[in-house]
Amino acid sequence: MNKDIGGLFSDEDKDILQEVMNIAFGNATADLAEVIDIFVVLTVPQIQVMKIHDLPAYFEQNIHGFDRLWKLDQKFWGDFAGSGLLVFPEKTGKFLVELFEAGDISAAESKPFDSLEKEILLELGNILVGACVGKIAELLDTRVTYSPPVASQGESKDFSALVETFDQEQTAITLKTVFEFENQNISGLLFLITNQDSIKWLKKSLNNYLESFDE
Amino acid sequence: MIKKILIVDDSPIARKIMRTCIPKDRGYELLEAVNGKEGLEKHRTFKPDLTFMDLTMPELDGYKATEEIKKIDGNAVIVAATADIQSKSLERITALGAFAVLKKPPQKSAIREILDQVEKHLAKNQKGGVDE
Repeated sequence: MNKDIGGLFSDEDKDILQEVMNIAFGNATADLAEVIDIFVVLTVPQIQVMKIHDLPAYFEQNIHGFDRLWKLDQKFWGDFAGSGLLVFPEKTGKFLVELFEAGDISAAESKPFDSLEKEILLELGNILVGACVGKIAELLDTRVTYSPPVASQGESKDFSALVETFDQEQTAITLKTVFEFENQNISGLLFLITNQDSIKWLKKSLNNYLESFDE
Repeated sequence: MIKKILIVDDSPIARKIMRTCIPKDRGYELLEAVNGKEGLEKHRTFKPDLTFMDLTMPELDGYKATEEIKKIDGNAVIVAATADIQSKSLERITALGAFAVLKKPPQKSAIREILDQVEKHLAKNQKGGVDE
């Protein structure tokens, strides 16, 4: 962790946020399993604190091995504000359409494949980001609202559009979870990025959360 | 009777929450391990009466650690403490011999209930009852 930035967010704050993220993503995958028959293998979430202008390099470092990819971005607002970003290899779309068709979902009957692929991925993003951010908000006793998710695909690993929504000189907290669809050799990444305006509230709420167990 | 409890979790916060939620008036000796590998070693050394085992951990995850511990000690009482509440995860850890599953974040009442269940289970085994 960069020491200059680390003063904003202590190691204990980071540990609490990691555990909260762990709980939230566990709940999100259970929600997903209720919608489609898919089992998600989880990994330990990773938290980092960095300057917004370092985010593109951070994404480049963390997203590799995908020739073409899907990006789903969903903003959330409130005391806890930021962006949820899901990144999948492009083949994930085809796999999910097949999974939905196998489940005889009526939407699969009338729509062109490309449109259906995008809609299913948007819904997947909505469930994972919404359930994950929603659970974090619930555990930290607040409420968030969401903008509709936006999906894009292609070779580009350019995240400038996402980064431009934040003040470049501010600090971001990134929460990263790598996940894998069991037996499908498909893995994806979920990032939650929150800006400096949320950090003061986040620190206080994380400590309140931990203290609530002493009551 | 429960005397020693082992808490296996990579998160220092999860271990702290668990310690806070375990009733202090019962005088349990609490031990900790930071991943499945260390959990396995400490289980061998300390022979706890009850182990709370996280499932998603580096080095050795909770599934493999549970499997290994049960191979060594078929009577080991392991409670999976997890945020991964997908039904397939719960089925898998139960099939590996977990005594119960504790959903994270833990509630004090849920922990007390599990402790009571384990006490009954151990008392039954001591009297020569059948293992679950």
